[in-house]
Formats: sequence, structure tokens, C-alpha cells
Amino acid sequence: MTAQPAPVAETGYPWPIETARLDNGLRVVVSEDHTAPVVGVNLWYDVGSRHEPAGQTGFAHLFEHLMFEGSAHVAKTEHMRYVQGAGGNLNATTNPDRTNYFETLPAEHLELALWLEADRMGGLVPALTQETLDNQREVVKNERRQRYDNVPYGDAWLRLLPLLYPPGHPYHHATIGSMEDLNAASLETFQAFHAQYYAPNNAVLTVAGDVTAAEVFALAEKYFGAIEAVPVTAAPHGHLSGPATAPVQETVVGNVPAPRVYLSHRTHPFGTAGYDAMTVLATVLGSGRGSRLYQRLADGARIAQPDYIGSYGVDLAHAPAPLIVTATAKDGVDIGTLTAGVAEVLDSMATEPVTAAELDRAKALLTTSWWRQVSTVAGRADTLSRYATQFGDPGAAAYRLPQWLAVTADDIADAARTLNPESRVTLTYLPEGDDK
Amino acid sequence: MTLVATRPDPGDARPYTFPGIQRLSVAGGEVVAAHMPGQLLATATLLLDAGAAYETIGREGTAAVLAKSLEEGTATRDSAAYALALEGLGAELSTSVDWEAFRTGVSVPVGLLPRAVALLAEATRTPRLDPADVERVRDDEATALRMDWAQPGPQADAALRVSLFEPGERYGRPLHGDPESMAAVTVEDVTAFHEAYLKRPGVLLVAGDLEKLDLRELGEAAFAGTSGAPLPVEGPLDVPLSPARRLILVDRPGSVQSTLRLGHRAPERAHPGYVPITLAATVLGGAFTSRLNHLIREVRGYTYGIRADFAMSRRFGRFGVSSSVQTAVTAPALTDTVGEITRTQQDGVTEEELAVARTWRAGSLSVDMQTPGSIAGALATLVIHGLPDDYYATLRRQLLETTVEQVSAAAAEHLHPEALTLVVEGDAAAIRDELVAAKLGELL
Repeated sequence: MTAQPAPVAETGYPWPIETARLDNGLRVVVSEDHTAPVVGVNLWYDVGSRHEPAGQTGFAHLFEHLMFEGSAHVAKTEHMRYVQGAGGNLNATTNPDRTNYFETLPAEHLELALWLEADRMGGLVPALTQETLDNQREVVKNERRQRYDNVPYGDAWLRLLPLLYPPGHPYHHATIGSMEDLNAASLETFQAFHAQYYAPNNAVLTVAGDVTAAEVFALAEKYFGAIEAVPVTAAPHGHLSGPATAPVQETVVGNVPAPRVYLSHRTHPFGTAGYDAMTVLATVLGSGRGSRLYQRLADGARIAQPDYIGSYGVDLAHAPAPLIVTATAKDGVDIGTLTAGVAEVLDSMATEPVTAAELDRAKALLTTSWWRQVSTVAGRADTLSRYATQFGDPGAAAYRLPQWLAVTADDIADAARTLNPESRVTLTYLPEGDDK
Repeated sequence: MTLVATRPDPGDARPYTFPGIQRLSVAGGEVVAAHMPGQLLATATLLLDAGAAYETIGREGTAAVLAKSLEEGTATRDSAAYALALEGLGAELSTSVDWEAFRTGVSVPVGLLPRAVALLAEATRTPRLDPADVERVRDDEATALRMDWAQPGPQADAALRVSLFEPGERYGRPLHGDPESMAAVTVEDVTAFHEAYLKRPGVLLVAGDLEKLDLRELGEAAFAGTSGAPLPVEGPLDVPLSPARRLILVDRPGSVQSTLRLGHRAPERAHPGYVPITLAATVLGGAFTSRLNHLIREVRGYTYGIRADFAMSRRFGRFGVSSSVQTAVTAPALTDTVGEITRTQQDGVTEEELAVARTWRAGSLSVDMQTPGSIAGALATLVIHGLPDDYYATLRRQLLETTVEQVSAAAAEHLHPEALTLVVEGDAAAIRDELVAAKLGELL
């Protein structure tokens, strides 16, 4: 048998998609696939840290924790026990844009998942106590310590956001929030938070896997149908009048093992042609050993550590999303040399045309990563929830991969010309003693 | 508003099946493949008997340097050309080293797998290993390990590990070495390791839509130019236990959390008690609803998470607990943790807890094994531990049928709270006195 050529992707989503909307506004998406006896259940609530007003940073994420602590008919800790007891796994995440809740279970337990999700959508507030809030506040503060404060470079994302987005912008503050705001969180605030955002007309429910659409629609009606819609408050707007007009720099001196630099720009919102070009650009620039950054700085000039070099976009949809380029110095390389080297490679994206080989490599990597993302029922359900929530159509998921594959070298050059040093954020970490 | 008040019963259970396994001897090696019809991606993993256990003491990290050096050019192309060829297929070479195996693997759209396996074999069998490249990779790896060791965790892991083995035992040293041993690796260590262990055929694991793949073609590419017989498999080690609890404090000045690592030795993976032992650990610290997570996270609010498990490899195992707790509660968190281990060892588990552990572990076999990558990993477990092709169906049945008495007996026999080593990596000045006063063990 001879090798076959790389498949030309006409669609990034070759599974069926069926949709329905309950009278209360809940959008239900089903994608059948009977190859494995499992089912992925996923809910996107259109609420994230971008909705948080000043003084309430971290509330959307803390709220996510409270959603696992019991509801009208589910006692504290039973949520986890029921799902794991059914053989499933579960989690939730919060980012600036949204909060998602998801579980994968053996297919015969679909109804359990829908019952649990409906109970905490429609019945969280009666079960929410001060004791639960106090306990989860401590858990979240420990999460902040473990993931951001106690790790070298762990707070880079927390520092980049306020440098990229002006005060008052929904992306200005990080999702984890500040210790001060978390300490000030009151029970009434969270009850109001639930009433405002955890409504069927502010959510998308997706089920992927060994189910039928008719079965899911009937069960969705049974469990979610009685939950009442509420008027949805518009999110704070994320409009920005063009790119930043002045470079910004911040230097952190601390307990880090080597100098590191992050260069970052606001680009375009996720889902736009401009951001698709930026995604391919980031892959050409900084993904894999064949990328420009690796070839020129890790392999060529050998000024950067090979394991800590790369570039990526952060897929945010409600304002121009960040592109982040990072490198860490090899022993004996100073931060000036490193930063100049990274900037030179970044700038080369505008001045040196991307070759066919570079472009093909990037598209092949993106193709594999796309198929990996949709290789599980959980990945598929999350993807469909995203496109239904952010673009009004789960079927739009099918276009992302073809749109990446349609990006040309000229598109990348155009995108790269917007990444000029005048709009650049530079965040630098230096080990203590290197700050002279 | 009327929510449904009662928890629904499950529907009819779908039958459990593990993908059909095909085995093929070809070109001196063996192909073990799992059929996943309709899968768009396929995975191939070359599983070689070349684990870190074969490394020389003081040169731990040799296999890791070799793994990274494989992509620094081959007999036929330089590193840039190799990267472009492989990444041009959408593949990246994944490498991993554990105690018993050295793995190289690729995942690509199924039609590209033959070309990706040819490139995988090219790097694995005929790497250039230019001395200047190997030395540079060694230096980069040492730097990367120093970066890693600047994070909380690796130093505590190493302190626990060294306390569980005799001086001079390879297993008492970190799996991937420490920054010093990595820096001491020589070009000769690396080339000798390659010569001794990576030129034997080994086993090619394939997971994907086998109707679109020719296993013979893949095997011939993977085993071309290889020779040598499989190495003898050494038997399991005994399970030595410390006569008393010990406390080791690793100073991390200014740390806002204390990293906890508790452990003692345990049996090997193929031990007949594997299923009840695993279920006991699940009740104690495996599930989110476990005893430890419930008490330390949900009741006390000391931590973001805590877990306990038995890590079991071919020749030995270890029971371990890991967590990070805020500095001020280090001593009470340790006291509570040792208390839950002791309670589990003495009083066993309840039917209610075990019911969750059983169905969770059994269900996970379906939930966690959807992708070619995860199925290839499952095939590796079969090969490394000599398990039969129907192993996963049998395991599922055993998980569901094991009784409270069996699991409580396993907890009583295999948990040893009095023999624990307790490692605390944190701000010693802030916690030392309180730890000593808590009398949890002799401070070493």
C-alpha cells in the first residue's frame, strides 16, 4: 500500500449536528457518533470574567466552584460522587469570555448528567450557604497560590492582560481575580450573579456521542424545560479603537531561574479572518522545531532554551485577542540579546515572505491539532458549544479548519505588518541579581 | 418552576469492548495493533526495552538526552530538514522514558501514518548523534531540568524517592535525573545507550483504522536494520519498609505554600492484588470524592487538591500522597492526612465509597480510551507487563466484582502509615517548629 496524500479538508466537522431551542431559550445541540459507548455533555454559559465589574474580579471563577457544591436536589459533594460513581469524569473552566461545564460518561448515564446540570442551573441559590462560599473562597485562593503565585513566571498572564488592555476594558483583569476582591465576596452577590447569568437563554447545551438527537431533545425538555428565562444583561463592550499606539514595557525581578521575555500584541477577535491569519502566523513563527523561532534562536543563534520558546494566540472572541511570543535565555545570554533576537524574528514575518514549505508545515500541524481536538466526544461537544455561543451556529465549527488552510503567504504578511514595535507589549523576567 | 426532584436511573448499559487486537511478527519485531474503525487520526508508538533503569548511577538523564538528540539530524538529513519533513506531515515526534521503556511515537491523519512511521524509524534507529549536538542537547536538558527544579515539587519528589531505596539503587534516583547528573552525561554514555538498546527491534504499537493501514509495511519500516534478542526481564523487588515514620524538610524560603509528598514502598504492577489495591487508593485519595480530598480541600479548605495513589511499575511500586497546602496550615494538613491513611488502613472502606470507586474505575476504561493515543498507551501496558489481549475486559469485570472485604484487606496489608516518609518542601523558618511539635515523625 502506498502512502496517501494529506487529506484536503472540506469540512472540519464531518459528524452530524442537530439543534433545537426550548421555549425558555436554551439552545440544545446534538452530534451523534456511535463508535464508542460514551457521551460528552457540555454547557457553555455566556458569562466570564469580562462581565465582572471593578471590585468583583475573580467572581465568575469562584462561582464556577460553587456550582459543584450542591443544588436544590443534590446535597453538597454529591454532584462529584454521582458522576464519578457513574464512571464519568467532569470539570469546568472559566476564562474571560465564558464558563463551561462538562462531563464524559458511559452513555447509559446521559440522563443523570442532564438532571445534575438542570438542577444547578435552576436550583443553585437555595442550596448556596455562607459556609460553602467561605470554603470555596479558600480553595480558590489556594488555586491562585499553586498556579500563579508560587511558580516561577506563573503570573505572566496576570501581568500581560493589564498591559494589553486599558483600565475598564473587560479583558483588563485576569480571571483568577485578586485576593482582595475574593475576600470581599458576599453571599448576596453570588445569589444575584446566578440569577443574572445562569439562565437557560444564556446557555448552550451540547451532547455528543452514543445518543440520538430525538432522545436528547426530549430529555432536555424534561429536565430544563421548567426553568424560566430571564432578561439577559448586555456584557460590557470590548470595543477598542485600533491597536495600541505606544509600546509598553514591564520588568519583573524575582525568583526565576533564567531571563525570559514575552512580546505580545492585541490582534483580532477569535473567529475573524484576521485572527485565522494570526493563528497560522503564530504556527509558522513558533510552533515546533521547524518554526522560525526554533530554527533561528534555539538551533541557529542558540541564545534561547529549546523547550521554552514559542508563540501562540489566546482564542478570545469579544475583543482583539492576544498573540504571545516568548523565549527564555540560555546560560550566559543576557536579556537584551534575547529580546532583540525574538523581536528580529517576529519582525521577519513582515519582511521575509513565508515560504511554501513553512506554510505547508504550519497547516499540517494545525490540521493534526484540529483533528486531535475533535477526537473525543468531550472535545467535540465543547467545540460545538463554543460556535453556538460565540457565532450563533454550531455548524460554523466546520469552517475553522478550511479557513486556516485557505490562509495565504500574503495574508500572513499583511497580518505581520500590524505587529509593529509601536504597539508591542514587552514583559521581562530577570533573576534576582541580574537587574543591574 | 419545577425541577425534577429525583435522580434518574441509568439506562441499559452498553456492552464494553476493547478495540480488536491484531498481532504480527515481521522483520524480527512484533506489531501489536488495535482496530478503531472510522478514526481520522492514527497513532504509532515504537516501544523499546530501553528504560531509565539501564542508566548508569551518576549519569541519570542519559536516556532523556538521547531522546532529545534523536531529532538533531539523522544519517540522511540534518535537523532542519528532518523537522520540516516530519512537521510537514503534521506530526511531531513524541518521546518518553520511564523505568522500563523508551518510546517514540507519532500521531497523524491515518493516510500519512506510513510516511510518519518511516521518519520515526529514521530518527530512532539512525540518529546522527554528532558529539557537538549531543553536548549541546545535554547542556540544554540540564538547563531545562534546573528550570523545572526551580518549581515546587521535583526536589520533594527526589527527597522522597531517595528515602525509599538503598543507596546505589537506580530507582532511588529521579527518573530523569537531577540537574547535576544530567550535566554529567557524556557523549559516550549517549551513543553507548543507543547502541545497546535502540537497535533491537522492540514492539510497534499501532492504533487506528486498520482497514486503511498495512501493518506489515509499518513493521518493516519500524524494524529495518535492527538486530538482537529481547533483554531478559528481571523479577519484582521486595517491599522494604521503614521501622518508623520520618520527616524530611526541604527549605524553600518565602514559599507561600508547602508541597507535601508522602510515601512508602509497595508491590509491582503485575501483583495479583492490583485491583483491590487500586480501589483502596481510589477511596482514600483517587476520586474527587475521596477521603483525603473531602477532608483537606472540601472541609478544611487547606488546598486546591490532594491525591493518593499506588504508582506501580514492572519491578516495584510506591504508595504516595501529593498536595500543596498554604504555609500556615502545613502541620495540621499533614496530621489530617496521616490520620486518614491510618483510618483507612485500620478500618477499611465502606460499601458506599467502594461503589463509587468501582464504577468510576470501570467506566473510565470507556471514557478515557476514546483516542488512538490512549489506546496505544493501553497496548503498551499489555506488552510491558505481559498481560493477555482480553485484559481490559477482565479488568473491568474484576473492578466491578471486588468486595468491601477484599478492598479493606488490601488497605490493611498494603498501607503502612507508620512507615511513611513525610517530605515537606516549604518555608522552613516558618514551619519547622510546628512540624517538630506535631510529632509526626523524626525530623531527618
